[in-house]
Amino acid sequence: MNLAIKDIRYHLFKFISSTVGVGLILMVVLTIGGIIRGIILDSSTIIDATGADLWVVQKDWLGPFVEISRLPEDYYHAIQSMHGVDEVSPLVMAWDHIERPMRPTPLMKFMYMNTVIGTRTMVQPGWMDMPHDLRFIVIGYEPGHLGGPPVIVAGRGIEASHYEIVADVKTGLEPGEHIRLGDFDYTVVGLTKNIVGYTADPVIYATLNDAQNILLEADPDLLRNIRRRTQQQLLSAATLDPRLSGPLANHASQIAENVSFVNAVAVKVQPGVSVEMVAREIARWKHLTVYTSAREVNMQLMGSNRLILLQLSLFRLILLIIAGVVIGLITYTFTLDKLKEIAVLKLLGTQTRRIYSMILQQAVLMGLLGTLLGAALEFASEPYFPRRVVATRGDVVQMLIVISVIAFLASIMAIPAGHESRPAQRARHIRRRTDGVRDSSEGPV
Amino acid sequence: MEYAIQARDLSKSYGEGHSQVDALKDISMAVQPGELFAIMGPSGSGKTTLLMILGLVTEPSEGSVLLEGKSIYEGKRFDLQRLRREKIGFIFQFSNLIPFLTAKENVLLSLELVDIVGRQADKRATELLAYLEVANRADNLPEQLSGGERQRVAVARALANNPAIILADEPTAALDTERGLSVMRLLRKVSKEQGTAILVVTHDTRMISEVDGVIHLMDGRMVEDSDSQRQLQSQNGR
Repeated sequence: MNLAIKDIRYHLFKFISSTVGVGLILMVVLTIGGIIRGIILDSSTIIDATGADLWVVQKDWLGPFVEISRLPEDYYHAIQSMHGVDEVSPLVMAWDHIERPMRPTPLMKFMYMNTVIGTRTMVQPGWMDMPHDLRFIVIGYEPGHLGGPPVIVAGRGIEASHYEIVADVKTGLEPGEHIRLGDFDYTVVGLTKNIVGYTADPVIYATLNDAQNILLEADPDLLRNIRRRTQQQLLSAATLDPRLSGPLANHASQIAENVSFVNAVAVKVQPGVSVEMVAREIARWKHLTVYTSAREVNMQLMGSNRLILLQLSLFRLILLIIAGVVIGLITYTFTLDKLKEIAVLKLLGTQTRRIYSMILQQAVLMGLLGTLLGAALEFASEPYFPRRVVATRGDVVQMLIVISVIAFLASIMAIPAGHESRPAQRARHIRRRTDGVRDSSEGPV
Repeated sequence: MEYAIQARDLSKSYGEGHSQVDALKDISMAVQPGELFAIMGPSGSGKTTLLMILGLVTEPSEGSVLLEGKSIYEGKRFDLQRLRREKIGFIFQFSNLIPFLTAKENVLLSLELVDIVGRQADKRATELLAYLEVANRADNLPEQLSGGERQRVAVARALANNPAIILADEPTAALDTERGLSVMRLLRKVSKEQGTAILVVTHDTRMISEVDGVIHLMDGRMVEDSDSQRQLQSQNGR
């Protein structure tokens, strides 16, 4: 006769409500873990998707993800010819934005208002109707080379050399939609998925030339100003023939304007060749700075995202402790509620191990079911979070182990209460529960 | 005939020095198989303490307890939990059936504790419930039974392991007079037909008519045992 199951069937509502309580707490714990993993994955997504081993950037700059490095585009030809290099690809990448009407959900409004009310930066009335900037990262690459979208989930990849883009689904753009970037209109020809920067901003892919136009093209007014200043400086040179200085100034300024820059060069090393060796060679030859992909990810995690990761990790730790205490208390009180039955079982001569077994079975079952419920709720809610939340089966297994241990310990703590060392106390306990009469084993009244 | 249970010079004290309180002092008594004895006395007189000592739940400060002739606390140490399981049946004031088990399962549990399982256990449980006239309530939970029915099931549970002695702690206190007397007559019947020694703690003097003897306690001392000729004193054993 399995006493644990029979007791659960009898106290079904209590068991289910306690298990749901445990499950909801664990859902929050798993979600925080998933949010942290989401940030980590966001930091490495572009780098992983590119498939490069090395990232060549401007000397002494932490480019291209956390600082804006600039180096001449034609450097990549030289890097391509170096020993051990398999493939290179010049890349342009930077944040950009377009204005889009916002589509706030009621939940967003509620959450946002609850966050800002009472702060000094309260949003003015009507803020929801204000134009909204859609931020994204534009990555320019040469189609057929490193750096393009790893997967197309709708539409197609970039085929034309100009005015076609592929956007991440999180931009909200649809295939066939036209958006204006810089001075030109671009057509969304395809969608990719889960390609975001460490800030969770989605990526838009364009050809290298288009991205240079969008991100690096100087303002025409600024160009005219630079050209005029160059001419004035050349004209003021006393040694120059005035008849030559005008055309020469024009030519010089055109040369300066026509230098193409990129933000980084992605390098894939040949199989079997040391990545570090190639990195050293490139850095020495061109006075450039070269980072491995792992270092690039680390720069984001331990640089830009360091504080938010530490903050969330600390919060997760606090939540784990609170969850442990709460779950322990739920298990503890669930056991305490059975003191009377335990006392009767003891008086009937039920073996101690059988009573322990009953309590432990219930506690562990509650922990296991609670964890599975929490995991199911967490997995079901992941798509509704604005940022990526990624909990894994490993997280669930870890949680199962931790919760089983907590449930076990909480039961062990509760059992002595139902299994008091002096059996007379058990008998007294039954009487107190039943009639409130003071028992003579406490001494004469 | 060997006594089912026998107490010699039992004393039980709590505390030490000035705060020491004597819950029981020099109690000697004996009950034979098939006898029904009542333990009576006012609240705090030591009735339950005596019952718990005889039930091997509490160890006496002094004196000895003999169960079927074997001294429990002298010489060889017995597995008290096992002795309780195999030799003693308990009946409580409110029956204290396990609430999540049906009437039959409550009886089956007691049988399972002495390793009687399967068909044999099922047959025995059914017979006991029929004997106590609650067979028709076998599949009901305790909360679905009346007070009298619960006590009958409790008696069936106490009888399940064929105990040498049944200890009943105010089994009629929660019942009206008629049902109380009915339970006492049932215990009377059980003691005679099953040959089980039964000790009943009770306040209710109306129940005396059903018992073979009364052990009166006052302030932890035995003041009278009017019917029984087997009240034992001091060291002289039987």
